Amino acid sequence: MSQIQHQTVINQMKMKERVDSPWMDMWRRLRKQKLAMIGGFIILFFILLAFSAPLLTSYSYKAVELPSRFLPPFSEGHFLGTDDLGRDLFTRIIYGAQISLRVGFLAVIGSVIIGTFLGLLAGYYGKWVDMLISRIFDIMLAFPSILLAIAIVTILGRSLTNALIAIAIVNIPTYGRLVRSKVLTLKEEEFIIAAKAVGMKDSRIIYNHLLPNSMTPIIVQGTLGIATAIIETAALGFLGLGAEPPIPEWGTMLADSKDYIQLAPWTVIFPGVSIMLVVLGFNLFGDGLRDALDPKMKL
Amino acid sequence: MKKKGLYLLFVLIFTMSVSLTGCGGSKETSGTGQNTLIYGRGGDSVSLDPANVTDGESIKVTKNIYDTLIDYQDGNTELIPALAEDWESSKDGLVWTFHLRKDVKFHDGTSFNADAVVFNFNRWMDKDNAYHQGDFPYYGYMFGGYKGDEGHVIKEAIAIDEHTVEIHLNFPQGPFLSNLAMPPFAIASPAAIEKYGETLGEHPVGTGPFVFKEWVRNDKVVLEKNKDYWMKGYPILDQLIFKSIPDNSARFITMQSGEIDLMDGVNPDDVTLAKENPDLQVWLRPSMNVGYLAFNTEKAPFDNVKIRQALSMAVNKQALIDAFYNGLAEPAKNPLPPSLWGYNNDIVDYEYNLEKAKQLLAEAGYPDGFTTDFWYMPVPRPYIPQGKKIAETMQSDFEKIGVTVNLVTEEWAPYLEKTGNGEHTMALLGWTGDNGDPDNFLYVLLDKDNAKGPDAGNIAFYKNDELHELLIKAQQSGNIDERTKLYEKAQEIIHKDAPWIPLVHSTPPLVGKKNIDGFIPHPTGSDRFTKVSFK
Repeated sequence: MSQIQHQTVINQMKMKERVDSPWMDMWRRLRKQKLAMIGGFIILFFILLAFSAPLLTSYSYKAVELPSRFLPPFSEGHFLGTDDLGRDLFTRIIYGAQISLRVGFLAVIGSVIIGTFLGLLAGYYGKWVDMLISRIFDIMLAFPSILLAIAIVTILGRSLTNALIAIAIVNIPTYGRLVRSKVLTLKEEEFIIAAKAVGMKDSRIIYNHLLPNSMTPIIVQGTLGIATAIIETAALGFLGLGAEPPIPEWGTMLADSKDYIQLAPWTVIFPGVSIMLVVLGFNLFGDGLRDALDPKMKL
Repeated sequence: MKKKGLYLLFVLIFTMSVSLTGCGGSKETSGTGQNTLIYGRGGDSVSLDPANVTDGESIKVTKNIYDTLIDYQDGNTELIPALAEDWESSKDGLVWTFHLRKDVKFHDGTSFNADAVVFNFNRWMDKDNAYHQGDFPYYGYMFGGYKGDEGHVIKEAIAIDEHTVEIHLNFPQGPFLSNLAMPPFAIASPAAIEKYGETLGEHPVGTGPFVFKEWVRNDKVVLEKNKDYWMKGYPILDQLIFKSIPDNSARFITMQSGEIDLMDGVNPDDVTLAKENPDLQVWLRPSMNVGYLAFNTEKAPFDNVKIRQALSMAVNKQALIDAFYNGLAEPAKNPLPPSLWGYNNDIVDYEYNLEKAKQLLAEAGYPDGFTTDFWYMPVPRPYIPQGKKIAETMQSDFEKIGVTVNLVTEEWAPYLEKTGNGEHTMALLGWTGDNGDPDNFLYVLLDKDNAKGPDAGNIAFYKNDELHELLIKAQQSGNIDERTKLYEKAQEIIHKDAPWIPLVHSTPPLVGKKNIDGFIPHPTGSDRFTKVSFK
């Protein structure tokens, strides 16, 4: 998050040469929102876990140790217990965090880039370009996203990368439509008309004026989108279409352990709770961000 | 804010749905009290015409609608009279005379007689017969093809009188009687065949203990008591319902809640729970199966016997059994299960020895190991209830000797199709015996005749001429001692060449209500409910 924020701050400053950045303003308002900050902490916590995974555990996430299967939580050496193949659950959860976060971020970045590009084109040029792109979005939105994702993975073949690609593709219209509608209103603004009047090239108008001014809704939607992407990855994994074993993807772990829900409930609970927490974190944070960034909400 | 609530709900549903699968379903099926037995199983039948199917879920049902000339005893594969009361063969083993049971009626009221038997035989074997509609796969497997084929065993079936049938063979076949007792060779009503033709599979009419009533696809098959069954006093149950509940744990939850009376495909780990439950009892199906890992011997590096032997030494079978079968299996060293005659107990299995395995790999020119694909089945099978877990464990085992495997899977039907075509490098698969004859394992699964796609039975594509000679010789011999010796020799050759890693012979568990009486699981996997009742 901070990466994007930082980058945008620089862009913003370069462009407008303003010292009193609106981003500082936003941060002030964001800090006041308790829920958003809780969400932020949850995200930060999982990011830290994911990055320091090799330091936090001495186990491998794939080493099968059959004699020590189904050890309950708080057993010696296994903080969260072990799964049906005797693998340390804590190790798998934190390596799983790496995977979920990575897939979440990458999928959103992918759909944001393509969606924004298409949205800018559709919004700026209008006419048949708009017609074509918007109808494609409509068609894609006509399918339930998970169904479309399943179809794409089935065509591409089962793997984590393909699941990522599928999730990125199904979310393109969300961002595309957002940017398009933003551009439609921006186009009528005086500074754009002025830019056109002085004969600025289309590409410069799009890149220097329209893009930076559509960033705010994208950032909000993107943050919420990470939550969606993580859930969709887990859903695909749960259906056996995501990560191939032994990759410790949370949804796959959930599916693998569901047979043991009576015998070893912790093998289901921990991956499930992890998914829930991360998604909750992104949703709370994204909601807070929207409130903080929306000028109409300004006190 | 609305959206957040929605997401939260989704997450909740997502985690909860896991625990709630199977809680749904209606009670309507268990209405008629203690004379209806509901059998929960993993899949629906394909067709109820046994001559035209090979899948266990179809045969499980038809076994109770139809009778064969000869049947297996309860709980083993000894032969007993069924529709044929008595039989004898000529000295050269080429003419078999069957004396049929009198006063037997098909469910549609027509009489069972010699003409009906001949009608069925002609339907199975003659591709020009008007009623030979379908593939009749099992007939081809067991009797060397169809009328006019070179290896076809049966010459003709002749009705001598109302209750006597003669079957003439082109050459003697050792397992002939055992083959005839298989459920696909059940006698269907000729009147029904003429009436329904291709759709006989939806309107089965036999002479068996239960009469077909209704089939709701992907849900249930309902059978009712045959009041005129030839076995006096049987069946005891009024109704028998086969209900499909695909998920093993969901089915077990349904069992615990009492909605079904009996189930197969129990997760081995749930057996512990079933044993602790005072309302339930556990049966073990006698083992007549084998779960194995087949190497595609046509593909490098598995064309090298040393590689195959090396990997055979890297699998800890007992650990697999303890973990994934709840101990309800025994390690396999031969393709044949030990309960079958002809089992060679002198074979010493490859020991679990990683050092030796590495050494063999080095000798074969792969001191640093190699990378390959490992296929596992996507569905629970009686011989391998958890393919994925076993695959993950073996992946971890193989890694210890430097062999990296990528796990690959497919849906069940394409899995069988692709492995049958030899698209795999190594693949998990298994086999449940149909008739208790070693030929049904060794010839079907490892002979070069069956090493060709599509639908290769021998998915190791293992071709050994010496073995082929032994197996054919054994097939055509009628002498059990001679056949035993030949099969023992065959197992030595297979052991040395290691086209498979035979993994386990499992005893698949079944769970049912405590008050079920007279149920004896049959090793072939399809059970008769003639003598089953509630206490």
